[in-house]
Amino acid sequence: MATTTATITLASTDLLSDSLSLSSTATLYDAGTTTGLTEYETGRIHVPSGDTNLILLDATAAGNDKAAKVYIANKNTDEAHYVIIAMNGTVIGRLYSGDWMFMPWSQTDVSADIEVTCPAALSTTCDIEYAVFHEGITFTNA
Amino acid sequence: MATTTATITLSSADIADNSFSISNTATLTKAGSTTGLDKTSGLRRRTLASTDSVDLIQLDHFQSTGEVITENKAAKLYIKNLGSSSAEHVKVCIGQEDADADTEEIGRLYGGDWLFIPYAAVWTSADHNGNQDVYVIPSSGDSVTLEWMIIYE
Repeated sequence: MATTTATITLASTDLLSDSLSLSSTATLYDAGTTTGLTEYETGRIHVPSGDTNLILLDATAAGNDKAAKVYIANKNTDEAHYVIIAMNGTVIGRLYSGDWMFMPWSQTDVSADIEVTCPAALSTTCDIEYAVFHEGITFTNA
Repeated sequence: MATTTATITLSSADIADNSFSISNTATLTKAGSTTGLDKTSGLRRRTLASTDSVDLIQLDHFQSTGEVITENKAAKLYIKNLGSSSAEHVKVCIGQEDADADTEEIGRLYGGDWLFIPYAAVWTSADHNGNQDVYVIPSSGDSVTLEWMIIYE
């Protein structure tokens, strides 16, 4: 087994009248166990603009109802650039340049893909980096 | 304007032959600008003790109290399961509660797990039809506490 941790720190001195300083660390386990996730993939891609709901991460039967975790970062630098993150057509939100996200991905069925859309109006690619930690994928024959 | 940062560190010394580490800091700004997000729900806590689904973030509540979360902007959502159980989880879903066709389970937070995601927060109607609420479903009737916060414009 492996030990992988994910730590978030949220901080602000002026969002509230008192300082905000929140930190949390999660250890990434297989579903329902204390056995660490042992498989992962990372990548960096240039998402072309104009196409809707391109599959970034393909849900597979082996991942259904498991404890995968997904990290995505928008690496563009123009503050107006955003990529739309969706799951099975349901929009989660817009990830603007410099933003990142981290979430569990239970892949309730093989349609629960994680999809990205780089808006046509941007007329450039959306460059994103990603990592997924998971419990296995279903391989397909050539 | 406010300056709020979100930093993530992902690390493992043994998931691969070589150590793995990602670190990234985002400054949370309004959509398409360099102005910081300046509204927040504040950090909230809710304890659940049944397997019933609970509308954790009911957008109509924000609408009706004047705390409008402008949809399709740069809002961010943080949720943490404060429990310690590795066996029990809380499903996190986006969409209209009790409307399977319009909802998506995005993932399951086991004890100690957290998420931080952009949040489109689409509000359609006061009767919740088509709203992008966030609702949660515990896997057991044991008490579990969640903390959550939205930072928005």
